[in-house]
Amino acid sequence: MGLALMSQLAWHDYRADGRLSACAVLALVAVLAPLLVLFGLKFGLITSLTERLERDPGVREIVPLGGGRFSAEAIAELAARADVAFALPRTRQIAATAELSAGDRGVTVEMIPTAAGDPLVAPALLPLPADGVLLSQRAAEKLGVEAGDRLSAAFGRQVDGRPEYQRTDLLVVGVLPLGAFPRDALFASLSLLEAAEDYRDGLAVPALGWPGRSEAQRSARVYPGFRLYAAGLEDVERLRRYFAARNLEVATQAQAIAQLRSLSRNLSLVFWIIASLALGGAFAAMTASALAAVERKRRALSVLRLLGFSSTALVAFVVLQALYTGVFGLILAWGLYGAAELGLNRLFQQTPGEYACSLLFGHYLLALLATLLCSSLAAASGGWRAARIEASEGLRDV
Amino acid sequence: MLRLRDIGKSRNGYRLLVPRLDLRPGQRLALVGPSGSGKSTLLDLLALVLSPDPGGTLELTRDGRISDIAGLWRHGRQDLLAELRSRAMGYVLQTGGLLGFLDVRRNIGLSRALLGMAEDATVQRLAERLEIADQLHKLPAALSVGQRQRVSIARALAHSPAIVLADEPTASLDPLNAERVMQLLVAQAEEQGACIVVATHDEALAQRVGLQLQRLQVQRSGAGGVLATLLEAG
Repeated sequence: MGLALMSQLAWHDYRADGRLSACAVLALVAVLAPLLVLFGLKFGLITSLTERLERDPGVREIVPLGGGRFSAEAIAELAARADVAFALPRTRQIAATAELSAGDRGVTVEMIPTAAGDPLVAPALLPLPADGVLLSQRAAEKLGVEAGDRLSAAFGRQVDGRPEYQRTDLLVVGVLPLGAFPRDALFASLSLLEAAEDYRDGLAVPALGWPGRSEAQRSARVYPGFRLYAAGLEDVERLRRYFAARNLEVATQAQAIAQLRSLSRNLSLVFWIIASLALGGAFAAMTASALAAVERKRRALSVLRLLGFSSTALVAFVVLQALYTGVFGLILAWGLYGAAELGLNRLFQQTPGEYACSLLFGHYLLALLATLLCSSLAAASGGWRAARIEASEGLRDV
Repeated sequence: MLRLRDIGKSRNGYRLLVPRLDLRPGQRLALVGPSGSGKSTLLDLLALVLSPDPGGTLELTRDGRISDIAGLWRHGRQDLLAELRSRAMGYVLQTGGLLGFLDVRRNIGLSRALLGMAEDATVQRLAERLEIADQLHKLPAALSVGQRQRVSIARALAHSPAIVLADEPTASLDPLNAERVMQLLVAQAEEQGACIVVATHDEALAQRVGLQLQRLQVQRSGAGGVLATLLEAG
């Protein structure tokens, strides 16, 4: 017995029974389409929230709390770790300020070290030329400068109660957007920050021609802190534990990341509860409809038996019709989901490239396999009953 | 081809006994007897759709190979029985037994399709002989009862079976139609050299179309039971 013949017979019967077949398809669509939309929403929401976190480098920042003592080598070692995207030493906070002036406007800013790979800075702006700096947007607005303008930076110190000043001319290479850094700040190379620190410590800075004490034998520089960004979201918690194990307290966004993770987990749970309830109902309905179909078609099935069709063929007859229902139901549900996705994304669109509702190709494939599997399993009981129909029964009821 | 010795079938206080029956190619038999005498039961036994009681011999010989039907039943080899049935038997039911969802051409071709036989002119030729050639594209529901019986006959013959069984094929037809349909059935079976067994209550019609009568005799036993015995042809 060829499967081709059986699927042909099943198809002819399915078509002749068109109205009931359509009802079965619609009943399946009523379950599948909302499930697809629900899953699409869950997947789209979690994906866009995750992407938003990944796009914001601040989430991956790890800030050491309190003062520490780090050598340049120790921080270079940190920077070399696979789970660290960027690490750079910081000088003492108190020494890392500068008074900037351009024309008749001035502002006091904090100085932040930067280097190639800084996640806050567009890669095209790095590395900085020798006298180049970046400004935060707020600082640039207060000074009224733009990229390409020059400004003057003053560093002050007190020597024996007398205030002293040194100035240097700097080139504004770029202005960071407000999202990258909200306060008044100057992003400069580490060497400028080290120069300011030395000068404030009363030392001479020969590179810039600033006077002061010169130390014949200076010990290796010790940094009180660093700027550090984890490579990925999942690295943040690992790094937090790494520093905690070394008795170094750090501030991280691990909480926010964990919150997203638990939101994702809980939404998945909600989805699967709803899905199993709905699928359970659909499964029962499909089983009932397969059993009813076998009862309705008892006579036709017993005629097939009389003609010499095997039990396998009769099972195939019933299961194939369930598969037809599954395929049509899913195609229709895909269509409805597509329309819902379009509408929802238009309704909830916030940022281009972000979708409130979306499914991957794999999800469609999974839905297809699950539907066909459920359909054939639900029909199996009907098929089992069909296989037990005797050729002699029902042949003579008129 | 089909050989029965001391085959019995009991159900619900009724017992059918076949001491001896041999079906040979070209044979034309009419099973006659009062209603309830077990004509249909005997046909079902011959059609391999009803299991005989244990004991006795029921054998089918095809192409020199003997199949022990009683043994196949004992071992529950339903699918082998179905396979034998599809090759060796054609069955005409009292009320058509056509599949409502297939058109006439597909209904007739079904027995051939099941055996994987190539489509040829057989269906067309049978339809012409049975005077239903202009109905081939219709669904059975659009046909008269007499036309449906002809379609049923065509389906029973389309795969050239060795044995054609017919269970009251003309009972639901008017006398004129009944005569014509019975003639067509016998003539087509004869043309194919098949053995034909017709269960009918219309002895006169059976004799007119040249069927050999074989009688089921009914005896009532004490407790309301019935014993039907197939008498030797004579």
